[in-house]
Amino acid sequence: MASIMNAGGLPSDQPGYSFSNASAPSESSGPRQHAFNPYTDNGGSTLGVTGADFAILAGDTRSTSGYNINTRYAPKLFRIGDDGDSSSRIVLSVVGFAADGNALKERLDAIVKMYKYQHGKPMSVKACAQRLSTILYQKRFFPYYVHAILGGLDDDGKGALYSYDPVGSYEREQCRAAGAAASLIMPFLDNQVNYKNQYIPASGTGHELQPRAIESLPKEDVIGLVKDAFTSATERHIEVGDGLQMLIITKDGIEEIYTPLKRD
Amino acid sequence: MPGFDFSNYNRNAALHARGVPLPKATSTGTTIVGCIFDNGVVIAADTRATSGPIVADKNCEKLHYISPNIWCAGAGTAADTEFTTALISSNLELHALSTGRTPRVVTVMTLLKQHLFRYQGHIGAYLVVAGVDPTGIGLFTVHAHGSTDKLPYVTMGSGSLAAMAVFESTWKRDCTKEEAIKVCSEAILAGIFNDLGSGSNVDVCVIEKDKPTQLLRNYFKPNERVKKERDYKFARGTTAVLNEKVITKEEIGRYVTVHELSSGSDSDSLVVVEKMDVDEV
Amino acid sequence: MDTLLAQYTQSPYASEGLTSEEQNDYTETLPPLSLKFALPPVSRPSAFLRAATDDYSNPNCPIKIAHGTTTLAFRFKGGIIVATDSRATAGNWIASQTVKKVIEINPMLLGTMAGGAADCQYWLAYLGIQCRLHELRHKRRISVAAASKILANLVYSYKGMGLSMGTMITGVTPEEGPALYYIDSDGTRLSGNLFCVGSGQTFAYGVLDALYKYDLEDDEALELGKRSILAATHRDAYSGGYINLYHVKEDGWVKHGFMDTNPIFWQTKLEKGEFSNVTSELI
Repeated sequence: MASIMNAGGLPSDQPGYSFSNASAPSESSGPRQHAFNPYTDNGGSTLGVTGADFAILAGDTRSTSGYNINTRYAPKLFRIGDDGDSSSRIVLSVVGFAADGNALKERLDAIVKMYKYQHGKPMSVKACAQRLSTILYQKRFFPYYVHAILGGLDDDGKGALYSYDPVGSYEREQCRAAGAAASLIMPFLDNQVNYKNQYIPASGTGHELQPRAIESLPKEDVIGLVKDAFTSATERHIEVGDGLQMLIITKDGIEEIYTPLKRD
Repeated sequence: MPGFDFSNYNRNAALHARGVPLPKATSTGTTIVGCIFDNGVVIAADTRATSGPIVADKNCEKLHYISPNIWCAGAGTAADTEFTTALISSNLELHALSTGRTPRVVTVMTLLKQHLFRYQGHIGAYLVVAGVDPTGIGLFTVHAHGSTDKLPYVTMGSGSLAAMAVFESTWKRDCTKEEAIKVCSEAILAGIFNDLGSGSNVDVCVIEKDKPTQLLRNYFKPNERVKKERDYKFARGTTAVLNEKVITKEEIGRYVTVHELSSGSDSDSLVVVEKMDVDEV
Repeated sequence: MDTLLAQYTQSPYASEGLTSEEQNDYTETLPPLSLKFALPPVSRPSAFLRAATDDYSNPNCPIKIAHGTTTLAFRFKGGIIVATDSRATAGNWIASQTVKKVIEINPMLLGTMAGGAADCQYWLAYLGIQCRLHELRHKRRISVAAASKILANLVYSYKGMGLSMGTMITGVTPEEGPALYYIDSDGTRLSGNLFCVGSGQTFAYGVLDALYKYDLEDDEALELGKRSILAATHRDAYSGGYINLYHVKEDGWVKHGFMDTNPIFWQTKLEKGEFSNVTSELI
C-alpha cells in the first residue's frame, strides 16, 4: 500500500505535461548510456513589440518546475551593457531554461560593456543583435535552451526588435512572443499589431476587399495590448502568472512597469 | 463489468510503441480535501481542469453526488472520476432500493475500491469519499489502484502536499462545522496558489447528521478575471467573405434534422436547457 | 620542497570567478565568427544533440530548431533566378512567416537557406568573410566554384555532428558565366542548371521541370520562379508566407520583391484559371 501512496500525490504517473518527466527516452534497443539531462523548462512567456520611437519588452515573473512554483519574482528581462551611466538602450529577454538564460545574459552583458570600454561608444542594437547570434551559435552542439528576444532603438531612433531560435538564427521583426504561452499570444499579436486577417469594411467585394494597412501603434496602445496578452495567457496557461514586468525603451531611457498578475 | 470496449487496445499499444503519442485526456490536476467535524464531514475542491499546461476549464465541478448524504471529490482523469462516481451512485441507489436501508459510506468505499482494483489503475480516479450514515461519519480516500485510507482529514491530487501542510499546521480535534469549513477551504486555497495544477475557485460540500447536505458552489472566488485594457470589438465587415449563401428556415430541414418545439407562449412546455456560464459583455 | 608544495597549492580564491580562458573570451574581441564551439561533456556529443534538438527522431525534444522550406534556383539565358518561400517551422509551430531565405553573401553572390536556419545564416556569413578575404589576398573576386567549395569543405569537416543545411550558391563571374552550385550538410556539392531544395522541393520541381527552358526571357523566368514556389506553398504545409525573388546577372543580383502568397494565389486562380481544383463556391 505504501508504494501506491507515493503515486497518489499526482493525478497520474504521467501528467501529460509539456516536457517529459522521464529521466531518459525509453528506447528498448541500442546501448544505454548514463542519462545526461542538463535542461529544465522553467516555463513563463515573453513578448516584444516595437513602435515608431520605442520598443517594449515584457515577461511574466513566475519561475516553475513541473507543477511547482520556484519563485513568483524571477525577472526574464535584462538591461544589457548597463553600467550605471544610463547610456544603455538594449534589453534582452530570455525564456526557457533560466540557468542558460542567465549565462547568456552574463555573456552578452560582458561583451557589450567591453565593447563600450574599448571603443568609447555604446554598441548599436544591430551589432549587438549579430553578436548575440554568434554567441548562441558558439553552442550549436550543446545549445542554450532559450528563446531570446533583443530590443532597443536602431540608429534612426526607431524601435528595433530581434528574435532568436536556441542556436542563433535571428530576424528583425515588429512583434514576437516566445516561451510557454507563445502559441496563445502570437496569433493575438499577428491580428492586433500586424492586422492579419483584418480587412477594411466595405472597401470592396470578394477579392477586391482591401486588407487593413499596418501602422505603427502609439506607446499607450501597445502597453494595453501587452497587458491584455498576459492577463489572457495567465487565464489559460498554468505556467504564466504572478507578475508582469515591462521594459519600455525610448530615447529618454528605459522605463520599467510592474503589474501584478493572477497568482493561481 | 460490461461497458468497456477493448477492441482498439492492441492497435493503440502498437501505435504507441512506434512513437504515436497517446491522446491527451483532460486531467483535473487537482487539490481535493476532506475533514470531519463533531457532527458531520466537509469536503472541498478547487475548480481548475487542465490538459497538459493548458487550462481546459476554469470553473469545473469536482464534487460528485453519490447519494443525498454521501459525496465524492475526484482527482485524476476527469472522465474517469465522473463516470466511476456516476456508476457507483447508480449501483448504490439500486442497492438501497433492494435492501430498503440508507446507504453507508463504507459500502461506497468498498464498491469503488473493488471496481478500481479490477482495472489495475487504468481507471485514473483518485477519490475522497465522505458522508454520514446510520453508523456515523465516514471519510475515506480511494486511490486508482484500489487502496483506501480512513482518516480524520485527507488531501489528494497534485496540490495534496500544499493542502496537507495547512491541515498539519492548523487542524484541531473535535472541531465545529465552521472550523472544518474554514480549514478545508484554506487547504484548497493553499493548493490553488501553490500548485500549478490547481486554480480558480473553492467548492465546498458540508454533510451533517440529520440535516440536508449543503453544496457551497464557488464558496470562495479569489481569482476573478480582470477587465481588459482595450476594446476588441471588430467593425462589421472586418472579416473577408468570398461567398455567401442564405438558407431559409423552410429549407433547413434539407441539411439538419429539425424537431419542432412548441412556441414559447405556453410556459409549461418550455424546454429548460442547462445554463452556461457566459461572461457579461 | 617549497617548489613541490607550490605546485599543489593554490590561493583559496583561485578557483572562483572566471578562468583565464573565460576571461579571455569576454575581454579579448574574439573573431565574431570563429570555429570554436562548445561541446556537451558526454562521450557522443552528436547523439546528445540529436536527442535534444532533432524533432524528427524525437518528437518530444526540448529544443525545437527552425526548419522547413522550399527554395529554388535555375540558370537561363538571362542569368540565374533564385526564389524561396519565407516560412520557418519548429515542429508543428509556424515560428515565422517572414524569414529571409535568400542570403546576400555579397553584392555578387547569393545563397539560399534550407534546413537549420541558424546553420545557414552562420555559415553563409562565414562564407562572406572568406570571400572578402579571398578578394583582399588575391586582388580579384572569388569564383562561384571556389566559394561553394569553401562551404562544402567546411560542412564536410563537421559531418556527423548534426549540422543540417541544403543551400545553393549562385553568382555570375566573367570566367564562369552564370554559375549555380548545390551544397548540403552531407558534403554533397553539385553544379547544375536547376535545383529545388527543401520539404516542398518536389512540388516546385513539378512546375519548374514542366515549363523550364534555357531560352526564357527575364520576365518569363521570374514568373516561372514565382509560380513554382507558389505551387510548393500551396501543397507543402511546411512552406508558405511570402515569395522572395531574385535575379542574378553579370553586374550583381537584383531583388524582385517579397510578395505575399495569398493574393498571388487568388490572382493566379481567378485571372489565369489555374488551381481549378480549388473552389470558393458553397455547395
